[in-house]
Amino acid sequence: MNCIELQASLVEIEDGRSAAQWNHLKNCPQCSALVAELMLIASSAVELRGLNEPSPRVWNSIEIALRQEGIIRPQRLSRSLLPSLSSRWGWARWVVPAAAALLIAVGLYVRPHSQSNRPIQEAAVAPAIPAVSDQAIAGLNDDDLLQEIAQQSPDLKAQCADNLRRVNDYIEDARRIVVANPNDEEARRSLMEAYQEKAMLFELAMDRSLP
Amino acid sequence: MSGRIIELVAIGTLLAGTLVAQTHQEYRFNVGPKAGVSVNNAYGSISVKPSTGNVVVINASLFSGKVEVDKNLVGNRVEIQSHLLPGADAVSGRVDYEILVPADASITLHSSTGPLRAERLHGDVTLEGSAATVEIRDITGAHVHVKTLNGPVTLTNVQEGHVEIDSLSGEVTLNGVTGPLVQVVSTSGSIQYVGDFGDRGEYRLTSHSGNIVATVPESTSADVSARSVRGEVHDEIPLQPKTHTWFVVKEGSAFWGTMGRTAVSSTVVLRSFSGKIHLRKREAVK
Repeated sequence: MNCIELQASLVEIEDGRSAAQWNHLKNCPQCSALVAELMLIASSAVELRGLNEPSPRVWNSIEIALRQEGIIRPQRLSRSLLPSLSSRWGWARWVVPAAAALLIAVGLYVRPHSQSNRPIQEAAVAPAIPAVSDQAIAGLNDDDLLQEIAQQSPDLKAQCADNLRRVNDYIEDARRIVVANPNDEEARRSLMEAYQEKAMLFELAMDRSLP
Repeated sequence: MSGRIIELVAIGTLLAGTLVAQTHQEYRFNVGPKAGVSVNNAYGSISVKPSTGNVVVINASLFSGKVEVDKNLVGNRVEIQSHLLPGADAVSGRVDYEILVPADASITLHSSTGPLRAERLHGDVTLEGSAATVEIRDITGAHVHVKTLNGPVTLTNVQEGHVEIDSLSGEVTLNGVTGPLVQVVSTSGSIQYVGDFGDRGEYRLTSHSGNIVATVPESTSADVSARSVRGEVHDEIPLQPKTHTWFVVKEGSAFWGTMGRTAVSSTVVLRSFSGKIHLRKREAVK
């Protein structure tokens, strides 16, 4: 658990009593000080109970500020099909939603045109697809993945690199076809499928690197 | 001689140690109709077959004390997790599961190493594993979803299914697979289809650089289009060519036509960027 995860977890377990929180607090003076301050505030608030209650507007303002800072958020079910993944791989939590965002972004970039009945023409009428990197679209960074795999499962790094090369070749070829044939809906679908393969690679590669 | 005896004793001790370390556990859960069963197992096989009655039976073989089985019944859903303890690796963390579920249960299996097997079910089947071998057989009227990176995938006798397979480089083999939707996407793995494309279904087999081979009887009714940007395309079955196409049908790189009866036919799309596509005629069984 890192500092960000600890602070996020304080929403559900606010006094650092879980094992993961405790382990982090033992070694992190900054987070220990934060929890101590929160405990002090909480205990002091009890003493203030007898005093004049602030108006509801004050509480609303505090709540808005806390939500804007991301310190509080709507409760979510903690149940997960793969709980070990989410607790261990902090940054990998965003892989699947990032992959979903990537697919949506590809869909936005590769807007479907109405189906043409004419054979594909050479010249492009629609604008070319911008050369946007995967990282720019959804924060998917090949180097980050390889680094993570190298750290957790060094024996899988070569295979992961090979898989990345294959899927990147797929994306590049699909992208070239779309640029050359912008009215080809199948080409756009092929590009979407290529990105789906890459998203699947990120998802399953992280699974496989579990010890 | 004494050296040989010592060697045999040492081997026997190691084997005995292995057997002692492996433990077997069994769990039973009573469930209602259309139950859900999910198994997350980092290392080891998962095999699922139908049970009799509304009971889920989990037989787990644990290969060491460095892994434990966490089980949970939440409403009508059974959740099984192989919990790796500190120091566990692919050998010591291995658990092999043999599971019996009601035939109408939906199952979700996840294992990095596999193999993953499911048979004779008609609930939804979702199998994921980066290097796992996946084998699915005798499934009817269900959604089948498979995701692998490098593991081979084999589906046999999956009827009336909604089948979606994503495999990065594993070989995908479909024997007697039919349904309203059969879709395979592969980056570099080959795709083999043996069957008759059912009727009124949509079949889409796509591989970036892998070869695609579809072997069907001449009596198949299907509207088939095949296209490879850099690879070769062959067909052994006479097709009535489409007169109105929306892509250029260049001989050797593409074909598009109809086989069998047009009134009752499936739509088959075969696509590859650099792999070969081959539509083969299956010889009649004598």
